[in-house]
Amino acid sequence: MKGELQSGRIRFGGGILLLLLGTCIVTLPWTLGSSSNFYYDRQHTDSPLLAPRMDTVWMWFGTSKLGQSLMGQCLLGGVISLTIGLAAAAISVVLGVSVGILAGYRGGWLDSLLMRIVDVLYALPYILLVILFKIALESPLGKILRSSAAANLVVLFLSIGLVSWLTMARVIRGQVLSLRTLPFIEAARAAGVPQHRIFLRHLLPNLIGPITVYATLTVPQAILQESLLSFLGIGIQKPLPTWGSLASDGLGLALAPVASCWWLLVFPCTLLGVTLLALNFVGDGLRDAFDPKAEASHI
Amino acid sequence: MIRLLSIPVILAGLVAAAVFWSHDSGDSQRADFAFVNRGDNKCLDPNGMSWMQDIRIAYALWEGLYTPDPVTWKPVLGTADRATVDSTRTVWTIHIRPDARWSNSDPVKAGDFIFAWRRFLETPGEYTALHFYIRGARQYSADFADYFAARQKGDTKRAAPDFGSVGEKALDDQTIEVTLNDPVPFFPALLAFPPYFPMNEASMQPFKEKDGLHYNQKFTRPPYLVTNGPYRLAEWSFKRRLRMVASDYYWNRASVKSRVIDQIYAEDGTAAFRTYERGDVDWLAELDSDLAAQILAHGKRSDLHIFPAFGTYFYSLNCLPTLSDGRHNPLSDVRVRRALAMSIDREPIVKNVGRLGQPISFTYVPPHVFEGYVSPAGLPYDVARARRLLAEAGYPDGKGFPHLPILYNSEGLHGDIAQIIRRQWLDNLGIQMDLQGVEVKIFGEMQHTQQFAVSRASWYGDYADPSTFTDKYKSDSDDNEAKWNSPEYDRLCALAAKETDPQKRLDLLSRAEGILLNDAPIIPLYTYVNSYMFRDQVKGLPLLANAMLMFQPVHVIRSDDGKSSQ
Amino acid sequence: MTRFIAWRILQLPLILAVVYLITFALVWLAPGSPYGNNDRALSEAAKNDLKVRFHAESWEKFLTYYPWQIVAHGDFGPSLSYEGWSVNDVLRSSLPVSISLGLLSILIALVFGCAAGVTAALHRGGILDFLSLAAALIGISLPPFVVAGMLIVIFSDGLHWLPSGGWGEFRHMILPGVALALMPMAYIARLTRVSMLDTLGHDFVRTARAKGLPKRTVVWKHAFRTAFLPVFTYLGPATAYAMTGSFVVETVFNIPGLGQHFVNGVKNRDQTLILGTVLVYAAFLLVLNLFVDIGYALIDPRIEINARPE
Repeated sequence: MKGELQSGRIRFGGGILLLLLGTCIVTLPWTLGSSSNFYYDRQHTDSPLLAPRMDTVWMWFGTSKLGQSLMGQCLLGGVISLTIGLAAAAISVVLGVSVGILAGYRGGWLDSLLMRIVDVLYALPYILLVILFKIALESPLGKILRSSAAANLVVLFLSIGLVSWLTMARVIRGQVLSLRTLPFIEAARAAGVPQHRIFLRHLLPNLIGPITVYATLTVPQAILQESLLSFLGIGIQKPLPTWGSLASDGLGLALAPVASCWWLLVFPCTLLGVTLLALNFVGDGLRDAFDPKAEASHI
Repeated sequence: MIRLLSIPVILAGLVAAAVFWSHDSGDSQRADFAFVNRGDNKCLDPNGMSWMQDIRIAYALWEGLYTPDPVTWKPVLGTADRATVDSTRTVWTIHIRPDARWSNSDPVKAGDFIFAWRRFLETPGEYTALHFYIRGARQYSADFADYFAARQKGDTKRAAPDFGSVGEKALDDQTIEVTLNDPVPFFPALLAFPPYFPMNEASMQPFKEKDGLHYNQKFTRPPYLVTNGPYRLAEWSFKRRLRMVASDYYWNRASVKSRVIDQIYAEDGTAAFRTYERGDVDWLAELDSDLAAQILAHGKRSDLHIFPAFGTYFYSLNCLPTLSDGRHNPLSDVRVRRALAMSIDREPIVKNVGRLGQPISFTYVPPHVFEGYVSPAGLPYDVARARRLLAEAGYPDGKGFPHLPILYNSEGLHGDIAQIIRRQWLDNLGIQMDLQGVEVKIFGEMQHTQQFAVSRASWYGDYADPSTFTDKYKSDSDDNEAKWNSPEYDRLCALAAKETDPQKRLDLLSRAEGILLNDAPIIPLYTYVNSYMFRDQVKGLPLLANAMLMFQPVHVIRSDDGKSSQ
Repeated sequence: MTRFIAWRILQLPLILAVVYLITFALVWLAPGSPYGNNDRALSEAAKNDLKVRFHAESWEKFLTYYPWQIVAHGDFGPSLSYEGWSVNDVLRSSLPVSISLGLLSILIALVFGCAAGVTAALHRGGILDFLSLAAALIGISLPPFVVAGMLIVIFSDGLHWLPSGGWGEFRHMILPGVALALMPMAYIARLTRVSMLDTLGHDFVRTARAKGLPKRTVVWKHAFRTAFLPVFTYLGPATAYAMTGSFVVETVFNIPGLGQHFVNGVKNRDQTLILGTVLVYAAFLLVLNLFVDIGYALIDPRIEINARPE
């Protein structure tokens, strides 16, 4: 009974996600093809800021200030937003899991050191860290990659990923600490099984649950942080859109007390909100399913 | 359970206490005139001042020897009651009016001006270069910097440079003599500009730093700040309110119409607009451009005032032979620069992005601003010629043209404009460029150190003379970000500086601008506009291109309930 | 217990020092200079003069001057971008605002978050579970600037219930308080739900119910009391977050709080201001966490203080 309900929530959220993601990906040939009306950088100079119209498909979501099809931008923006979310989450998972396992398994001074580092980083406001990472990394990377657009994307992944691994590290460390004392691991160690085998065969499988859960919950966080960076003017490089940058670009015109261009905010925000809600649902559902008693003090 | 409940109860108690604690204790009475400035005030010491919002305040607090006429902004005598210039037009003798007083009732003396001007040379600020028109000033400033650096390193024997070599002297308490390098026809306008305002040394004395040179800037806050203008600074709450009250000692008190003036702080454009709509302020000095455009597009309101500004929006092209990453710079070829300039259609930029009826512009100096100045024709929009020029330069249809970045700071409209220009160069010339939007501080640094190929740029004039624009592209100028170097341009500018006939002077400057436009280190796009909001009841607020104002004549006709009606 | 507290208090200055150094390194290395207004190139002479005045000619000079001023006089130095104001002035003016707003928002988050979490747990799998959780999660599913803007459009422009901005009276605090509360509320709702579910399955709850105690008593008196503990742990960081303000909320609602300085400080490269605000934030966080740990023991004497899970 319980399991069914949990998986219902996962299925519900997951279904929405797949539907959205699928649409965004399937339409890529149009949103990236420079001859299409949906092309994200196709500027219909003579039709700027038009409200949504049902008679022309590319105008279903209205047009931007430059006359781009908002629908095309939203579809491509979805792909980029999710890519940023996934990449940043992947970075934070890799970092968090390695630090967590290292600290928990090796223990001793290394554990204290790593955990004190985590403590210190916790004590820094993350918004400040994200901005500073973004600023500090962008120009050197731009020189290495020889393309400011590519550097911008990589720095976005990195700066968001680099600030979101702390919770993961703490949770994994806690898990490893308790796993380490379990009889089957002690037995394996006593039997002389090499370290890496214990690691791969015994430790990692037991960590998959929490890792999946926290990874799922990090994706929406990362997407949200990208939107905040866009709001601060240091997000994705134009003309590439993300849902967050579309929302922050449209904010002023949409919330204007006179003659609101509501479509600039409503469409990207609905898509963003539904996706993040779905991701959060999936994450919560997964957590319940994997370990209903999970210590959840550090989400 | 009781213990658990205690948490919200304690929290609620704390909230109540904190509300009481953070409550504004200031006088909540509505000022006679209230406005939202362009941004928050950074610095109210004329020596370090450079932001527009601070300069606006400076005109209310201080008064120079000359002062701008509130309606025409032409310099008229202010703290001085007479000024004469000799036949070479380089030696000025200026007499301070006897009834000129500081806000603490002390008389304004010649020494107060010399003290302030000397500070500019010893602790240089953003506008120190405006003092270099004075004979010996540039040399003294450099010498003093060396002297001070040596003293900081512990060298006590080194003698201070002789201030007597600088052509600014107080002949007596009432008389100042200034000797200039060249006849500067706009010298009265400079004297009316904040960098030439006097400072009250006695009131600053307690704030002198240990190094004996600098002042702790706390002296710019009430009640310490002593000024000689129509208003004195009564309150400055950080990021909340700045209040000015009419000075009891200003010589021309009769001209001051509003006794209390408040500057209300609102950083966000929409928040500022809402403050205005609530009737909390009478004037919005800069309406958010998106909002202004929406208002314009949907039934113009009589309280929205849009008019051309004293500034040009343009693109700057790096003219150095190599780019900062070591690649050959194709923009060093004048044909490429001209091709880029001639392939931009400015219409969609002002129509879709600017949206406030900004006049499109092919010239750098805003046209029709300076009487008698005839603007040269710029490079027209001509795609066919642009393509030919590009082919001549070795890039037919853009083939072989390297990927260059377009640098801009990712605020406001710059990103949208860059997108349009990028598309146009791609469509018209076949040149593919990248956008590089960076944070404003990085933008400033990259622009000033030539780490760009194409960059968004803008320039606002400071005083009413075309040289406030043309000086920027002299080869020795700090602000020449394009690193464009034309001996002929420099020669014409230098000739103009020596020329005593006003019309000939303007013609020389116009010829110089012609060279600049034809060589295309910059691509002018449009003339900025100012957007004010104020209702009909507000009187005496001029619509000046430089977006400045004198506060004395400004006042609001109020209806009986004491609030300005909607 | 005393030893534990003493040990934690001893650690405080050490962590603060490291936080200071890391922040300093990051802002010092970030490209862009704090001086000048970006439009004009500031002359070398003027730039040097400012550096001398602010003791910032080199990182050695900076680090030998400012940290000592902080330790000896509690003086964070002058702000580099707001000349005329010291960092202490800025803190004095903006901290009261942020603290009162933060406390209000934590109160809101606590009351509504717990209510949503308990409701969801009691109706597990039902429509109420879904709805209450969805409502709570909105706060972390939409960008904060959008939520804040919508609050204004609905409650200020539309219904005219509350002012859209400004500061000074309690009614000014409500909308920004709600906007700031959304994020912690979402976490609190989640935490409460999970740990409520956990607790409801425990024997003592079942026993209490079996004894015939009314459901409400069991839920609130027995289950929620235990389920609240993880929420309580989260209150430390949440309060520190809320009391140091938020850039977005302060900008949208035009509030003179502290949060804007984290962002504006970096934007202006105002090194002294950033260091000052970061130290205040870190100190808040560490002290609040300490309080939470002590309070933990007071709320539930069964739990030994050093047994708090990491």
